[in-house]
Amino acid sequence: MPEVNLNDPVDVLIIGAGASGAAIAWSLADTRMRIVCLEQGDWIKPSEYPTNGADWEIQQHGPFNIDPNKRGRDTDYPINNSESPISVVNFNGVGGGTILYAAHFPRLHPSDFKVKSLDGVADDWPISYDTLDPYFTQNDRMMGVSGLAGDPMYPPKQPPLPPIPMGRVGERLASGYNKLGWHWWPSDSAIISRPYQGRDKCLNLGPCMSGCSQGGKSSTDITYWPEAIRAGVELRTRCRVREITLGKNGLADGVIYYDEDGQECHQKAEVVVMACNGVGTPRILLNSKSSQFPDGLANNSGMLGKNLMFHPVASSQGVFEENLGSHKGPQGCCILSKEFYETDLSRGFVRGYNMQITRGTGPFTTALHGYATGRIPWGADHHKAFQKHFDHVASIGILCEDLPELHNTVTLDPERVDSDGIPAAKINYTLSENSRKMLKHGIERAEEVLYAAGASEVASTDLVQMAGWHLLGTARMGTDPDTSVVNPWGRSHDVKNLFIVDGSIFVTGGGLNPTSTIQALALYIADTMKKNLANLFD
Amino acid sequence: MNDTIIATDFPLTDEQRTKLRHLLNALIPASQDGHMTSAGELDLIAYLKANAVDFLPVLLTILDDLDEEFLADTPEQHHQGALALSHDNPALFQELIYQVYALYYQNPVVLEGIGAAAGPPFPRGNTVESGDLSLLDPVLAIGKRYRPVS
Ligand SMILES: Cc1cc2nc3c(=O)[nH]c(=O)nc-3n(C[C@H](O)[C@H](O)[C@H](O)COP(=O)(O)OP(=O)(O)OC[C@H]3O[C@@H](n4cnc5c(N)ncnc54)[C@H](O)[C@@H]3O)c2cc1C
Repeated sequence: MPEVNLNDPVDVLIIGAGASGAAIAWSLADTRMRIVCLEQGDWIKPSEYPTNGADWEIQQHGPFNIDPNKRGRDTDYPINNSESPISVVNFNGVGGGTILYAAHFPRLHPSDFKVKSLDGVADDWPISYDTLDPYFTQNDRMMGVSGLAGDPMYPPKQPPLPPIPMGRVGERLASGYNKLGWHWWPSDSAIISRPYQGRDKCLNLGPCMSGCSQGGKSSTDITYWPEAIRAGVELRTRCRVREITLGKNGLADGVIYYDEDGQECHQKAEVVVMACNGVGTPRILLNSKSSQFPDGLANNSGMLGKNLMFHPVASSQGVFEENLGSHKGPQGCCILSKEFYETDLSRGFVRGYNMQITRGTGPFTTALHGYATGRIPWGADHHKAFQKHFDHVASIGILCEDLPELHNTVTLDPERVDSDGIPAAKINYTLSENSRKMLKHGIERAEEVLYAAGASEVASTDLVQMAGWHLLGTARMGTDPDTSVVNPWGRSHDVKNLFIVDGSIFVTGGGLNPTSTIQALALYIADTMKKNLANLFD
Repeated sequence: MNDTIIATDFPLTDEQRTKLRHLLNALIPASQDGHMTSAGELDLIAYLKANAVDFLPVLLTILDDLDEEFLADTPEQHHQGALALSHDNPALFQELIYQVYALYYQNPVVLEGIGAAAGPPFPRGNTVESGDLSLLDPVLAIGKRYRPVS
């Protein structure tokens, strides 16, 4: 590994060590350039994850809470969700969101890149599914993805590992889908169903969304990062970037960051890559103001922080007579249905949604959730209701495509700051009429399939609040510098040595979990950079 | 209930102790078939001391706010008392439920009763059936379904 003096300029400075930061670091490493990644959080030891303890369900509410405002780690930054019906959830540390993600790993569909041409809404992407196809495959191999080839809803693809077990939950729901003649398929999951690349296979612990003690879940701290570091990339943790600095030539010349002790440090770089996600990236760019960019760096278009897309989520839970063993197995990965994924205007809305079948929860969470929803009362009827639900439920998450809208934004909070004094992120988000109709349609269809599968009771939640998992669109890609922040290969239109590779560059969000596509994009951008090294800033 | 710990390590009066047992039994009584124990049989005080010490004084206030009759009341009246608490102070009641459920659903005897394994999930793991993939036959029979883009 090349010696790097902290004061020496580096060739490439990546900010954020999550899903996309890890992928681009690994891919660029073979150039032998000096690459440094600054990450505000820590490495997480597998022994720290809740499932190492008997109190694993309680621990999920503590330092591994999905809500950064509740997690109480000083490596997090506050997020003001008061003007949004959906709250942002994330993780800040090596691996980023992949530490806590459910690892449901579908790709965007070919049609998702062409929504303007096909459906007359939003914009087409300047790249296509075919552009990303080789990078999807590369990423599946690097992460370790399990799934079943042959899904008729996709062009041919071959996951490297066989699917994870669908269990009785999957079988039961599959029978419901079959009764209705609807599509379903075993989920592509970034969870290894067999030993893979020195990692041992998934043990079906259950709560992937509080971290995986076994390492069966493919988070980037155990997939890309070890490889990238072996190849010479330096990863500095506990380094929180405040702003990107601009040189006299109008190019980014590095960053100012705070180290673990709160010391202000400067790092010079030839190329800066933002990988802080759809909230973290606009936050830092908006905070990088200069006379040349008074509204934030790379924001001549005024699009930075705008068009925020989540995937609004509704959920329906069915109760079954049969014991489905539902608290066992990866909670968020089982089977899915794309029956209502594509536009059918007779439904009253444009675009569509993915139905993600999820398993049940542990005993404490079942009881607590049952109390909160009124489905499991305290008192004399408690045991009967608990027994009816625990291990006897299957749920369907309805994950809707959210179209980009200018008024859905990430801005700097005027009052709140993180532990280094950097302004917090503020979310302003309104659920569109189109999304509302889609959610309603989704709940009705989910209830239909749950009953068809034999549920005796079904209860639904119209909109899940703590479901701001997918943070997209706030620095979107495009060919027109007036309406987009980065060009078709992630380079800022305004600052030619600044790249963005995370979810913020999505033009539209599709109706499914985005991380596979985020990482494929990062690999594609890395490859394009490598091909254009000689004239990267032209 | 472990009276020694309560008596020596946390100064509950007899009255408070009785109220606590009634209150816990109102929240999670024993099951009618006797298969599941009641929450009143478990040691909430020891649990809170180890895991949520800040809630102890709050719990004392809850107990002191229950009137004298609660001591001698019937289970139905205990239920009404708990119901009144849930109406009068929903936030406090919610926190009480959280702690009582946490105590109850981590107890090895309770977990055995509901057919769940006690202790950490890792490295024990769980077995999940792979499922019958021939169920996909009707899906495959429909053939290619992705939307053409050109
Ligand atoms: C509970 C949960 C469940 C999820 N489930 C799924 C799922 O099933 N499938 C799916 O596809 N996606 C899922 N996601 C979303 C997934 O985690 C994200 O899509 C993905 O991680 C985004 O990748 P990214 O590279 O854009 O950003 P991230 O992975 O979020 O990484 C950003 C990194 O940047 C760092 N950073 C931010 N600001 C700074 C700064 N100023 N200085 C230094 N470092 C900084 C952060 O600490 C973080 O580590 C889930 C997320 C959560 C939280």
